[in-house]
Amino acid sequence: MFQPTDLQALAITFKLAAYSTILLLILGAPLAWWLANSKSKLRPVVEALVALPLVLPPTVLGFYLLIALSPNGFLGQSLEFLGLPGLAFTFPGLVLGSVIYSLPFVVQPLRNAFFALGRRPLEVSATLGAGQMASFYYVVLPMTRLGFLSAAVLGFAHTLGEFGVVLMIGGNIPGETQVVSIAIYEHVEALAYAEAHLMAGLLLGISFLVLLLVNLLNRRHSLVGSQ
Amino acid sequence: MIVIRSTLQLSDFKLDIDIELPGRGVTVVFGPSGCGKTSLLRTVSGLEPRAIGRLTINGQIWQDHATGRWLPAHQRGAGFVFQQPGLFPHLSVLGNLLFGQRRRGAGQLDQSAVINTLELDHLMDRPVTELSGGEQQRVALGRALLSNPRLLLLDEPLAALDAHSKYKLIPLIENALQLLDIPALYVTHSSDELVRLADHVALMENGKVTATGPVLEVFSNLDNPIANVDDSFSVLRGAGVGEQSPGLEAVCTDRGNLFYVPQGSVAGVHQVRLKVQARDVSLTLEKPIKTSILNILPAIVEEVSNPSSLGNCTVKLDLNGDKLLARISDFSRQQLGVEPGLHLFAQVKAVALLQSN
Repeated sequence: MFQPTDLQALAITFKLAAYSTILLLILGAPLAWWLANSKSKLRPVVEALVALPLVLPPTVLGFYLLIALSPNGFLGQSLEFLGLPGLAFTFPGLVLGSVIYSLPFVVQPLRNAFFALGRRPLEVSATLGAGQMASFYYVVLPMTRLGFLSAAVLGFAHTLGEFGVVLMIGGNIPGETQVVSIAIYEHVEALAYAEAHLMAGLLLGISFLVLLLVNLLNRRHSLVGSQ
Repeated sequence: MIVIRSTLQLSDFKLDIDIELPGRGVTVVFGPSGCGKTSLLRTVSGLEPRAIGRLTINGQIWQDHATGRWLPAHQRGAGFVFQQPGLFPHLSVLGNLLFGQRRRGAGQLDQSAVINTLELDHLMDRPVTELSGGEQQRVALGRALLSNPRLLLLDEPLAALDAHSKYKLIPLIENALQLLDIPALYVTHSSDELVRLADHVALMENGKVTATGPVLEVFSNLDNPIANVDDSFSVLRGAGVGEQSPGLEAVCTDRGNLFYVPQGSVAGVHQVRLKVQARDVSLTLEKPIKTSILNILPAIVEEVSNPSSLGNCTVKLDLNGDKLLARISDFSRQQLGVEPGLHLFAQVKAVALLQSN
């Protein structure tokens, strides 16, 4: 059965995915809005930057983050200057890495949802007296809620499967920064296949269920949208 | 009083407006597609932040470039009915109707008055996405009316509807516009909608307003290009006076001219507008007898336009105060010796009736 460190790894993994998803929704929504509506010349550049984690090996991303977060790195120095603790090999450091790593999985569904929404609903709500905040809360959010749901689920699921970035910047500290994917790797290294099977199967099942959920939601889109 | 002095430079088009319109009643903005009618409404509503100029609506300054004042759209109180209804699919019919009221507070209008006037009561329980185009547009109009607006903007609200829905919706719009004592700008390129709804008209062409004035005057003013084309028309106002002869009713205009119309068309209707195509009016120097044409009225030539490139000209006739246009060939004009002051008879072959309640 599960060993205590495995349960800890599971807890850390889900906590990491939850924190990252919440942060990603908060940061990703304005970014996705800008990408969907801006006519700026910078837009393709930002779009490419956001999509970078899709193609980059996670180790590359993790490597640069590690350099930046190190006591001599740009982020490490800034944190030290502000009197804050360093982030390398800590849980908050993992959250930062996950946010960057899963950014495209949250921003792209949101951008597509905002793009499909178009300007008209906002123009209608403005002429009916709704300011920007009211329009976002009463029009944009309900009309794109499936986009938000897809973004949240994809961001969450993708963070669950994170390996390379975590390994590079989080190390492998059981109970602190050891996540499921790394625990599996450890088990395999130790030839403990039964334990590896258990956790790998669990992750497989959860990931499949999550993606199934997204697909079912997308199929029901029109139905849900009409209520 | 509505004062609009605005310019808006779009990539391939420039809107350049300098007009004053009455502060009440319906002003129909009339012009061909692409002449900038929609851009004008968007500028007034605050949906075009690039527009510069000055905009005052019944004393309220919505924009003044000189002082940097620019009221954002949601603070203007310009109810906007778009060509596509744009209902919020996540809200019920009632939720849509009350959306503006919840943001801007309740206005002079009672919710039930709007629901009754626009015949929305049986729609209240249906999802908005299952409503027909005409039904959706009625909800959109009700939503704008209930948002406590200071000005109502309607951008070809009937253009996306089939003929039957249009026919049903026009009287409802007419009634709804009378619910509120606020001015309305109604954009259309349909002359029937115009004749039916307009108190006042602003004619647009190539991003500019070429003429404004009361609907009964604008179209008969030969200075306006629209009075000097082959589909020029005149607008007359009158009341139904019931059966005159067996099978024949009549409309008596404000100036006492009697126009015969088919039976059953004006019984009990207080206010009627007549649209007479200028090409359906022919001129004769002597009163014809033994003719199938019913409406033959004595008239005096007031003005004659220059002939167009096709060799037609417009003759403006005075019928005891009513103004009527006749479109005839320049050849006929010369043959008859038509010139200002000449007494003759106008034979009106067809009259379109557009009724009000």
